[in-house]
Amino acid sequence: MLNPNVPALPPRRDTEPVLVPVMDVTLDRRGLLYGLAFATLLTVAVYFGSQRFHGFDGALAGYCFATVFALFGVVYRYVVWLQRPPTRMYWKRGWQLFWQPGHRLQNLGLFLRAGWEKLIEQRFIRKRSRKRWLAHQLIFWGCIIAIAITFPLTFGWLRFESDFAKPSDYMIVLMGQRLDFFTFPARSALGWLIMHGLNVAAVLCLGGIALVLGRRIRDEAELATQRFDNDIMPLVLLFAVSVTGMMLTASNMFLEGKFYYWITTTHAVTVYLWLLYLPFGKFFHIFQRIANVGVWFYKAAGANGPQARCARCDAEYISQMQQDDLKTILPDLGLDYTHSQVGNWQNLCPSCRRKLLTLNQFRATGKEFM
Amino acid sequence: MSDMRFFVDPIRCIGCKACMQACSECDTHKGKSMIHLEYIERGASTQTAPMVCMHCDLPTCAAVCPADAIKRTEDGVVQSSQAPRCIGCSNCVNACPFGVPRYYPEIDQMLKCDMCYDRTSVGKKPMCASVCPSEALFYGTLEEFQSRRGGTPQNSFQFGEQTITTKVFLVLPDGEIGLDMDVISHMDARFEPDAFDHLDPFAHLEPLPMEQPQTLRGRL
Repeated sequence: MLNPNVPALPPRRDTEPVLVPVMDVTLDRRGLLYGLAFATLLTVAVYFGSQRFHGFDGALAGYCFATVFALFGVVYRYVVWLQRPPTRMYWKRGWQLFWQPGHRLQNLGLFLRAGWEKLIEQRFIRKRSRKRWLAHQLIFWGCIIAIAITFPLTFGWLRFESDFAKPSDYMIVLMGQRLDFFTFPARSALGWLIMHGLNVAAVLCLGGIALVLGRRIRDEAELATQRFDNDIMPLVLLFAVSVTGMMLTASNMFLEGKFYYWITTTHAVTVYLWLLYLPFGKFFHIFQRIANVGVWFYKAAGANGPQARCARCDAEYISQMQQDDLKTILPDLGLDYTHSQVGNWQNLCPSCRRKLLTLNQFRATGKEFM
Repeated sequence: MSDMRFFVDPIRCIGCKACMQACSECDTHKGKSMIHLEYIERGASTQTAPMVCMHCDLPTCAAVCPADAIKRTEDGVVQSSQAPRCIGCSNCVNACPFGVPRYYPEIDQMLKCDMCYDRTSVGKKPMCASVCPSEALFYGTLEEFQSRRGGTPQNSFQFGEQTITTKVFLVLPDGEIGLDMDVISHMDARFEPDAFDHLDPFAHLEPLPMEQPQTLRGRL
C-alpha cells in the first residue's frame, strides 16, 4: 500500500550527460561516391562483358567480388589522397600542362617516353641497385601477368573452348567472341605456356620475393626501418598466393587431385587477403607512382619557364611556378612562413637557409666568425 | 634512445669534413653523405656551417610531400623518403626551412639525414657525431652535454610567422629560449664587390662518390 505520509523524493539533480565514446570513423563522402561509382561501373562491365553472366564462372565469383571491393578501396583511397593540398596541386598542374593547346601531341610523346622509363623499365630503380631492380622487375611482371590472366577470367570476359572441328585444339573466347583465328594445340609449347601462365607468374614472383627477402634479412638499413605491416606483409601475401596457386597445379598433375578442395580454398583466401591489402598497404604505391610521370611534365614546364631567385644570394634555385605553388599550399597545411624581411622564408634558397642557421647562432651568441 | 639527444653547435665547426666522410659510410644511405657543409663567407672567414636534419616535430617536408613518402617515426626521427613512394618532385627540398633534403636525379629520389637510424635505433651514435673532433655535432644525454660545456640547447626556431620545434638541439647562449631567424643583418657581405663566398676552394673534393664501391655493391 502506498503511504501518503512519506516525504516526497528530492528532485533529481541535473547531472552532466555522460559522453558515450563514438567510433572515430569518418568516411570521406567524395571518396565513397567515386569508389561506389567505379565499383558499379566494373560490375556493369562484368555483367555485359560476360554476356549477362552467361560466360561467368560461378566458381570464381568470390575472386570477382573481392576484385570489385579492391577497386572500390583503391579509388576511395586515391580520391582521399588527391585531396591533400600538395597532391591536388600536382594533379591540377599535371593535367593543365598535359592539355596545353599546341603541345598535346608532343606531350603524348613525352608521356609515352616517361611511362616507359619510369613505369615499365623502371630505370631509376636500376640506378639504385641492379639486384633491387631485378627483384622489382620479377615481382612487377609476375603480378602483371597474373592480373592480365585472372581478372578477365574471373569477370567472365575470357575463357577457353575446344575447337569444334579439332577438339584437341583450344581457342580463346573474349567477351563472347570466339577468336577462331587464334587456335592452338592444347598439348604444345604455346598451349603449355598459356595454360601455365599463372605458374610462370608465380615463379617470377617467387624469384623476386627471394631476392627482396635476402635484402630485408641482411641489409642494416632495411632491418632498422622496415615494418611488418608495410614491408614484410606484402611479401608474405605474394608468397602465399604464389605457392598455393602452384600447389593447385601440383595437386592436379602429380597428386591425382588430392587435397585440391583444401588447396583451392586456401588459395582463394590468400588472394582475397591480397586484394583487400591492395588499397591500404604497400601495393598502393603502384597507383601513386603514376604521379611520377606528371612530375616529369611539371619539371619540364618549370625549367622552361621563369626561375625564382633567392632573396639573399640572388641565385636561381627553383622554378617560379613551383615556388608560387609551394607558397599557395603551405597555408593550407597550416604553415605560415611569412617573413617581414624577405616576404616569405620560402624566398630563400636552401643553401642560404642552411647558412642562416649558423649566422643566427653567431648573432645570438654575439661572436664573430672563428 | 629516449634519453639521447642530438646537439648542433656550428660555432665549433672546423670544416674538417670528417662528418661528411663518416656519414657516407652509414648503411641507411650507402655511400652518400647526408651532411651539408656550407662556407659562410670565404673572403673573411674559414667558418663553416654543418647542417644535419633537425627532425622537426611537424616536418614541413612531410607536409608538402604529395606522395606521403616522408614518415616520422614514433621516436621523432624524420626518415628519408620511402623509395617506392617518392616521385622526385623536390617539394621537400624547396620547402624545408632548414634547407636539408636533397634530390638525387639519377635515382629520382630525395634522400636526407635520418640520424643514422640503423645505429641510433639500437642505441649507437650517429656516424657524424661519433667522429666530430670539435663536438660541433654531439650525441648524448643532456647531462653529458652539460658536463662538458656551457650554453643552453634549444629547439625552437622562428621563421618569420612560423615556429618550428625540432628533435635536434642548437646550442645557444644561456637565457635564449629559441632562435629568431634574421636575414637582413646577414645580407651585407653578399653585396661587397670582392665578396666571393660562392667560391669553394674544396670544390674539387665534391661530390663524394655517388657510385657504390665494388665491395659494397653486393650488400645492396
